[in-house]
Amino acid sequence: MENNIAIKARNISKTFKISEDSHNTVKHRLFNLFNPPRTKYVPAVKSMTLEIMKGECIGLLGRNGCGKSTLVKLLAGVYPTDSGYININGSTMLMNLGVGMSHELTARENIYVSGSVLGLKIKEIDAIFDEIVAFAELEGFIDTKIKFYSSGMVARLGFSIAVNAGADIMFLDEIFAVGDAKFQEKAVKVFESSWIKGKTVILVSHSLEVIRQYCNRAAFLKNGELKYIGDTEEAIALYLKDNEIIVKSESAEPVVAEEALTAAALSA
Amino acid sequence: MIVKVLNNWYSGSNKLERLWLLAKIEFKLRYYENKLGVFWALLKPIMDIGIYYIVFQVIMKQDVPAFASYLFIGLIIFNFFIESTSGTIQILNTKKYLYEYSNMNKLEIYMSTLLSNVIGFSFNILMFLLYYNFIEPQSLGSNVESLWMFPIFINVFILSLGVSLILSNIFVIAKDINQIWQVFATCLFFLSPVFYKLSSFKEALPNFDYANPIAGIIINARRVMMQGIQPDFELMFFDFGYALSFLFIGLILLNKLGSKAAEKL
Repeated sequence: MENNIAIKARNISKTFKISEDSHNTVKHRLFNLFNPPRTKYVPAVKSMTLEIMKGECIGLLGRNGCGKSTLVKLLAGVYPTDSGYININGSTMLMNLGVGMSHELTARENIYVSGSVLGLKIKEIDAIFDEIVAFAELEGFIDTKIKFYSSGMVARLGFSIAVNAGADIMFLDEIFAVGDAKFQEKAVKVFESSWIKGKTVILVSHSLEVIRQYCNRAAFLKNGELKYIGDTEEAIALYLKDNEIIVKSESAEPVVAEEALTAAALSA
Repeated sequence: MIVKVLNNWYSGSNKLERLWLLAKIEFKLRYYENKLGVFWALLKPIMDIGIYYIVFQVIMKQDVPAFASYLFIGLIIFNFFIESTSGTIQILNTKKYLYEYSNMNKLEIYMSTLLSNVIGFSFNILMFLLYYNFIEPQSLGSNVESLWMFPIFINVFILSLGVSLILSNIFVIAKDINQIWQVFATCLFFLSPVFYKLSSFKEALPNFDYANPIAGIIINARRVMMQGIQPDFELMFFDFGYALSFLFIGLILLNKLGSKAAEKL
């Protein structure tokens, strides 16, 4: 049973310290020893406990600034947690519009580096190399540094690497917005046919259709707290209800302004 | 802790392959991007040697036997150390793309960058061997004691890795470690017996070869590569001590500060 758990998180929390005047040089620090910068604490994730099984597809729902992206980064092992512990079984890959690629390297090098970071052997990458290039529709630009690519080309390459190489645990943060309609259709098709099987997927999306269609469980987050995890429909209902309240309270200015502020601070 | 890290290292089957891949790309980025290419890697030590030769042998008349070779071996060791430390202070910033989107072990990033420096170092040491054995008029020739160069090199490698870890992780919280280290590195360069006659160095700064970790390494490298005698084991013991303690501090800092690199940089 233990072996079926992909990620086990217990009481994890994360608070961001945002200093108004950042003293990030030694000189500044020395001159301001007795005059510490004003700091603001933003609790992005407050004591969450969750378990994600292998092969599961979990949806994350919540309004902007509720801590989705922070939670994803914690679970992927990119950020350290302030409290609690996380046990990650396998390689992780975080995907949003930009995937871990160096703009100084060519597409070919990026494919090899990313593939290798994701745990593939060189021979395995050789085998799927053409597939990756073809899927990204980048034939003819393989040996160009990706800093000369358009943002769409970079995003397609990232998506293609993720689709074809893929880590054990994939975190997908709003990824179905990449490429033109044809590319999206292709992406969804691959997603359905191969990804859902075998891979553990954590899907962040504001598209309820996507969540409803693919996820066997969903989590609803609000203000950095895990309000609900379980049945997808239930989570979607909670999310819709949350959105409704906010729409209604738009006349009550202070609430909205404060929420917007937290959201801005979190995304910064 | 070190045992655990090493265990992690070998458990994955593609780790060594990945290190080599990253090192090759790093090496290519450094040299192939420029017009001079790898040629520069060979040219630079020769030009450095030319400068110091004129200053210390021609003008100041230090009268060190086989001075060009003496400089050569000292410089390539010191340059390896500087490239691996000064050159990697911002590594967590420049290599952010590797760890920002996955749970890759950051130590691998350091290992691969240092490995690419090892490629350059190997070229240089090969050039040294060719020069010393075939061109240097006052050469004594290489002998079996030259094999001691391997443990000595491992010593420089560990030392560089340790210092690199310390500096680049401090960089996460204090950016101006960069400038401070530049001054410190210059200081270290002039306080190492790279171009001084060893006897005058020891006379002016007694026991300093024990205090400066890189000095002992250079002294020992010359003993085994040029004089064909065994290294000074006491000195070697000290230098391994330094290297391992720096590595230990570096690994602690990597755990404490480096883990926050994704959010701070």
